[in-house]
Amino acid sequence: MEHSKQTQYSSNEKKDTGDGGSVLNGHFDGMVKRPAGGTARAAAAPQAPGAESGSHRAATSVMESWKEERTRSVEDNEMSLPSLAAAYTTILRGLGEDPQRQGLLKTPWRAATAMQFFTKGYQEKIIDVLNDAIFDEDHDEMVIVKDIDMFSMCEHHLVPIFGRVHIGYLPNKRVLGLSKLARIVEIYSRRLQVQERLTKQIAVAITEALQPTGVGVVIEATHMCMVMRGVQKMNSKTVTSTMLGVFREDPKTRDEFLTLIRS
Amino acid sequence: MNGHCNGKVNDATSAAHRMHETSRKEAEDESRLPALEAAYTSILRELGEDTDRQGLLRTPLRAAKAMQFLTKGYHETIDDILNNAIFDEDHDEMVIVKGIDMFSLCEHHPGVHIGYIPNKKVVGLSKLARIVEIFSRRLQVQERLTKQIAMGISEALQPKGVAVVIEAAHMCMVMRGVQKMNSRTVTSTMLGVYLEDPKTREEFLTLSQHY
Repeated sequence: MEHSKQTQYSSNEKKDTGDGGSVLNGHFDGMVKRPAGGTARAAAAPQAPGAESGSHRAATSVMESWKEERTRSVEDNEMSLPSLAAAYTTILRGLGEDPQRQGLLKTPWRAATAMQFFTKGYQEKIIDVLNDAIFDEDHDEMVIVKDIDMFSMCEHHLVPIFGRVHIGYLPNKRVLGLSKLARIVEIYSRRLQVQERLTKQIAVAITEALQPTGVGVVIEATHMCMVMRGVQKMNSKTVTSTMLGVFREDPKTRDEFLTLIRS
Repeated sequence: MNGHCNGKVNDATSAAHRMHETSRKEAEDESRLPALEAAYTSILRELGEDTDRQGLLRTPLRAAKAMQFLTKGYHETIDDILNNAIFDEDHDEMVIVKGIDMFSLCEHHPGVHIGYIPNKKVVGLSKLARIVEIFSRRLQVQERLTKQIAMGISEALQPKGVAVVIEAAHMCMVMRGVQKMNSRTVTSTMLGVYLEDPKTREEFLTLSQHY
């Protein structure tokens, strides 16, 4: 049964290769269709943090995030639980703990369920979340939803990342239900992530849903992999941003957005 | 059980905790790494991820090492870090070190506050923070962590009193489950004169509040 999940995954990948990009669990790598047609892997380098004028012009060329992203179902979760719990038991032993002591007896199951929760973004599709809540509205001023709490998992160390997401967009005759912006953040953040990719995925999803005049996404986050271990810098924050459309082209619009999210 | 213990040391329990201190040697870490890596690889697959994609290629190794680091308190002992830094000093006023950042598995931030009243022996100040590190770099329960820190100081210095207060946010409550962003859990252990004399306790609590 586990194989079915893997096959479903790899058949997705085969489907997408023809586009010059490929979907890996909803993470596009190098979404931009470069005229030179580089390999998908080569284009997969994450953008530099905080880059507002990255080399990608990804406003319209990204279709992959609309494709079938779901690689996991509730049934898959139930079937994986025993193996996940077994893996966590191995980890507890490997760390020198005694999995039989009272405090740890059910820990492997709790940890497994928690990990599935932290990666539940793999079970959800943008389409399910958005389709009902796009409204025609003759509004062309900036809409900002800021200070959206975000929790993700670092894909390199499997430790938490948490922070805040600020989203702004300029509607072009269509607006989105406000909580749907937060739901988009949830879908992409509840995964094994890299902050640069997360920022871009959110911006691209909004762009494709609404075709707005422009979108700006800023994420400020604390990475536990830097705080709890490694360099151990308590107060450091990582800031990344993606500006699309008029937010990228017009400095005044961008300024207005950045000012309003600071206050 | 969190909070003020009645001053009586449950010797069996603290001995067990002390035994925990030496249950893992650094040399073992290396030999356990492959098993940990395999477990993490299995976890990634079970979650539906592709372990061959670029970002995840070395993740099982990184995660295993990170986990070992986060539980390195298991192979550190109080004696190792304290023995050199206890000094005879004729000081009998309260000594407080507050706002010690603490990260344990599940708990983190904002602070551990420690106070003690020396009885002819003071300890190098950074050693208080190191004691916090030893006990927090483990799989923990906040109540136990608080008590272990207090007991550790108590046994090393035999002071007139020790107070430890921990205020922490639990990621298990913030990132999942009830998902309450701003909740904090506060536990305290008061030993010796901090337990017996309300005024002393109050002085400590007042002085450690603002940081």
